[in-house]
Amino acid sequence: MPEASNPVRIILFGSLARGSGLKALLFVLQCALGIIGVILAAALAHSFDWLLPVAALIYLAIVVPTALLCGFWQAVIVSLSAVVVHSFFTARQALFHLAADPANTITDNAVTLVAFVLIALVVSRLSARVNRNAQQAETRGEEMRDLYEFTRRTLAMNLHSEPGQQLAELVQEIFALEAVVIFDADLHQTYQAGFWNQDPQDLAQNVYYFETADDDPVSGIGRRVLRLGAVPIGSVVVRGDTSPMTNNAIASLIATTFDRYRAFVNESHIETERRTEQLRATVLDNLAHAYKTPLTAIRAASTGLGEMGRLSAPQSELVALIDEQAAVLNELTNRLLTTARLDADEVALRAAPVGVRSLIDEVVSGLKERLASMKVSVQLEDEKLELCCDRQLMRALLTQYIDNACKYSIYGTTISIGVARAHAETIFSVHSLGSEIPPAERERIFDRYYRSSMSSHRAAGTGIGLAVAKRAAQMHGGHVWVSSSQTEGTTFFAAIPTAVLQRSFS
Amino acid sequence: MSQPDIRILLVDDESAIRRALRPPLSELGFEVVEAIRGEEALQLLRSSSFDAVLLDINMPGIGGIETLRRIRAVAPRLPVLMLTVRDAEEEKVKALDEGADDYITKPFSIRELIARIRTAVRRVRAPTRAEDALIEIGDIRLTPAQKRVTRRGQAVHLTRKEYGILHCLMFHAGRPVSNAELLTTVWGAEYREEVEYLRTFVRQLRKKIEDDPSNPKYLLTDVYVGYRFVDAEMLLEQAADPAPAAEEVEAADPQN
Repeated sequence: MPEASNPVRIILFGSLARGSGLKALLFVLQCALGIIGVILAAALAHSFDWLLPVAALIYLAIVVPTALLCGFWQAVIVSLSAVVVHSFFTARQALFHLAADPANTITDNAVTLVAFVLIALVVSRLSARVNRNAQQAETRGEEMRDLYEFTRRTLAMNLHSEPGQQLAELVQEIFALEAVVIFDADLHQTYQAGFWNQDPQDLAQNVYYFETADDDPVSGIGRRVLRLGAVPIGSVVVRGDTSPMTNNAIASLIATTFDRYRAFVNESHIETERRTEQLRATVLDNLAHAYKTPLTAIRAASTGLGEMGRLSAPQSELVALIDEQAAVLNELTNRLLTTARLDADEVALRAAPVGVRSLIDEVVSGLKERLASMKVSVQLEDEKLELCCDRQLMRALLTQYIDNACKYSIYGTTISIGVARAHAETIFSVHSLGSEIPPAERERIFDRYYRSSMSSHRAAGTGIGLAVAKRAAQMHGGHVWVSSSQTEGTTFFAAIPTAVLQRSFS
Repeated sequence: MSQPDIRILLVDDESAIRRALRPPLSELGFEVVEAIRGEEALQLLRSSSFDAVLLDINMPGIGGIETLRRIRAVAPRLPVLMLTVRDAEEEKVKALDEGADDYITKPFSIRELIARIRTAVRRVRAPTRAEDALIEIGDIRLTPAQKRVTRRGQAVHLTRKEYGILHCLMFHAGRPVSNAELLTTVWGAEYREEVEYLRTFVRQLRKKIEDDPSNPKYLLTDVYVGYRFVDAEMLLEQAADPAPAAEEVEAADPQN
């Protein structure tokens, strides 16, 4: 891993440069110690004759440890000093004994010097490598420990709140960094820890937008894009002593934590939604049932008045109005009940073959009064089209679509109802001319209680109708959607799988 | 006002409903006796006689179904109409299984209620029909002895099962027959859950006896509960409805 070892070396040199005064002093001290050792050894060797032949070995015993412990240059200096000191002592002895040949001594000394320097070189190189490896191993070990600690802490993190800030602080604390900034693209939030002398928000967002991932050894800044799979979800920028590998690991741990947070939020959201839904369904159910008694009394009273006769024409008209409105109220109550049941998943699909033509006729005749001001055209691909479905649910769906088309279309225009087979689905469509549904609302109008914000789309309604339509389609394994444009008008679609048909007949 | 011809026991815990039902029913030729609970109704039934019972299913105390069960123990042929709400299909089926003659879904119109009461009372008052007696309703004529069915004089070819269904329904004309009862009668008890089966056969049957099978006139569906074959009176009402004049005729009917 040449990449990995590079910054380590850089850092080593960097720290060497930073503490240069101390290092020089240490260097001199080491050399001085070595030289003193050599002088002592030379003196010893020259005072005992039997030691003289092995004097070189004694020097070596000093040079080698110097090379090992202190370094090449110290060893070279000590070697040089050994040669000089030895020569000095030999020369001094020669004055008294004249035993050795001076020329010979000089050659000896040169050879010794070269040998010493070579040995010093080899030994110091070896020891430097060993040292470096040990140091790297230690750094790695530390980084691993930090990463392990970081992983542990992120796993233990409380995911009830956004994890960004906690993560930034954790990274800074655990990896002893000068500064950290994390950008969450999903929430468009920046979290920072430590001190930045430039705008950390810009820094992190640029990394995300330009997808730059690099390490700058001079400033100590590492940039990473947070990804889930191949998808960028944010970025992290750190300043301090970390290796690129560690930065990678930090980035992927942060990405994973963001992902876990999202999954957690989703899950608890779904669970909360489900519970609220159930509660609402129960409340609606009770409410709808509580409405039934007064409705029954009103209906019995009004129809009773009508049946008993003896009413003047205006009186009959008022009685008819009461009856009619009680019927409307009852229909609303029934719709509430249906929604409540659908939401609580209490409704079992009661599928049976249904003639599409008769179904549509039934729905249209049920909406006769509403449709009085509109033209209705029905286009069936095949008059004999049949579909295995829950008649009540499909009736609710189509009633809702057509009712909706009535409400939001231009007075007097045509509502076109179409049914066509496409692949494995039977597709119902209800088209009308009216104002466009904004693209942003096209999904949401199928949500419960959602009412369009557009004034042109405001009309009396409970805001539950299209949700019923959606659920009805879903219960058949189908789906709903809407297409809308200012010029073409609005079309609501419902695709119901035709495959249900085969299942019920087999 | 002439002597009331039908004496009704109305059992409902809701006073609003009792108050709303009594005046029009009394006015239209029924004598109404009220009970607030099933227990009270049973006591009243012991001390005097009634032509029909209107029985709410949801009541405090022993409730509608249990009351029905106890009524049946002492008066097997007394017409009992259950008052129920939409979406309570299981209750309806249960009531039919326990021997209720019919049910009516709240909120209902007085006209609908009266028609149901009359049908039930008529059925009980009619001389007991022999199993193999000829049945004729509208255009449909069924001759059990020959297992023959004709429609406007033309023979209708039915399979054995189709005939079985039609016979069962026409024999009980006017009364809803639950899916389970039909399946048990025609196929046997082990088939009582096979509703899909029944639906397919009813569809075939309608194709043979109805003018517009998707909009049946004779063989009606009681959604989720079962089927019923109209009786002669219901056919007349069907034909008259929804002309306002018919309302007058209907309303005047009891006085005649």
